[in-house]
Amino acid sequence: MESIISIKNLDFGYDAKQIFNKFNLEIEKGSFTSIIGSNGSGKSTLMKIIVGLYKAEGEIKVDNIAMSQDTYKEIRSKIGIVFENPDNQFVSETVMDEIAFSLENMNYEKKEIRQRVKEIGALLNIENIMEKEPHSLSGGQKELVSLASALVIKPKILILDEALDMIDNNRRDDVLRILTNLNKEGLTIINITHNSEELLYGSNIIVLNDGEIKDQGPTKELLRKEKLFKNNGLELPFVVDLSYKLKYYGLVDDIVLDIDELVDKIWK
Amino acid sequence: MEIKYENVSYVYNPKTALKKVALKDINLVIQDSQINALIGTSGSGKTTLIELLNSLLVPTKGKVIVDKDIIANKGYIKNINQLRRKVGIVFQFPEEQFFNLTVKKEIEFGLLSFNYRTNELDKRVSDALKMVGLDDSYLERDPFKLSNGEQRKVAIASILVFNPKIIVFDEPTIGLDYDSKKNLIKLIRMLKNRYNKTIIIISHDIDFIHNISDYVILLDKGNLILTGSKYDTLANPAVLKEFNIPMPKVVEFSYKVLKKKGIKMGYRDDVNDLLKDIYRYAK
Repeated sequence: MESIISIKNLDFGYDAKQIFNKFNLEIEKGSFTSIIGSNGSGKSTLMKIIVGLYKAEGEIKVDNIAMSQDTYKEIRSKIGIVFENPDNQFVSETVMDEIAFSLENMNYEKKEIRQRVKEIGALLNIENIMEKEPHSLSGGQKELVSLASALVIKPKILILDEALDMIDNNRRDDVLRILTNLNKEGLTIINITHNSEELLYGSNIIVLNDGEIKDQGPTKELLRKEKLFKNNGLELPFVVDLSYKLKYYGLVDDIVLDIDELVDKIWK
Repeated sequence: MEIKYENVSYVYNPKTALKKVALKDINLVIQDSQINALIGTSGSGKTTLIELLNSLLVPTKGKVIVDKDIIANKGYIKNINQLRRKVGIVFQFPEEQFFNLTVKKEIEFGLLSFNYRTNELDKRVSDALKMVGLDDSYLERDPFKLSNGEQRKVAIASILVFNPKIIVFDEPTIGLDYDSKKNLIKLIRMLKNRYNKTIIIISHDIDFIHNISDYVILLDKGNLILTGSKYDTLANPAVLKEFNIPMPKVVEFSYKVLKKKGIKMGYRDDVNDLLKDIYRYAK
């Protein structure tokens, strides 16, 4: 396994409260990892450390570059990050300018900027709102604009911090499918989420609680651990929860990740 | 307490190039002492509809009746402070409005601006905290250092402290983990059952709506499309599809069983309920 993010012996805390204590983490290059855990488990803090927003003790490597005062800018240019509540991040008057903002800061040519903004708008299907003022958009649309701004720099790693929360379920599934395609093309994705349905997308799951990794592994393997979810106050995706219960009744022999497949298994 | 919309239209920036019709001829009665859910895609007029309730907006046409107050272009509101104490609105990410150094100061801020007598202040703050499941040890804590779930509770307490009869929640589940969401559901049910509150919830989290609501109101592009019990609305895949509302998972499952296997199962509330049906039809 080749790691794109490697963290060793991380120590970090706010005031008197220690969050991470000799914490280790490896994120595989090209993986699509969901990180779950209750509020206050350290998920968002961890992401802020990875992009160099918080300084922490320990060894942090992103794409083989060790985090330091000299390298954090270079590291940041490799990561696209989308936070919860996009309202706090907008700086421009139109969606188009908002998406172009980071490219302008990186001194790209105007022609290249226009081309990239157009491409990303088409990819996320937000061409119809390009002229609008970001603050006038709905919550879901704002999140899509933030996602576009993160992807437009063509990052090696995309981090979503509860970033799809306000998008309607139908649309969210579309976005997750687009992200799955980008992942197949080589983008490493980390999705921090409270929404159990999002776990069905992605290759791996990490369960984080109280600043510790409680368990990690391939998606289906982790979803088989019903107790792990229960003990950490986490919800299972609907279809997995239902198949567990049906397994107990002897109606299916293993958990299933897709409703259509489950229906076919029950009524063979 | 009566809440009624009569022929209500609302237009943003009328008579300008930026004119936008947000609501068209809405006739609607909000169910008293029930949990009313307001659904519809973005831009359907949900937020406009609730902002008319405490006169943050005034209808362009028609009137909104809240108890004895009439909110209309030429309406008569006896006392706007009193109206706003009747209708408490918990906005999206309410914790982002915090600006006080202690939880107590945060919660009592609104009451003080409404000129409450100070001798009952402490008790009311403490009662409001209790309602959201936090004890007095939180009073002197820094609201900025609480967890997300706790912050959301404090924000809700700062509305409950007025003791409003009508409580509006705008996207209350965003950013909350599973446990906090379960607690929120309990809290909202308690507000209805024990304190007889009228609840209005805006949310795009359709499974949450399915779980909690008694009565569902569907808006689309400023038009009122449908009202009714959740059995009449959320269990109707054709309507949901037409207005681009996702199906609740339980409904989706039954729908797929019908479509793929031709088996018609009854309407079910949750997974456990559904299980019995599956067992019956699969055996």
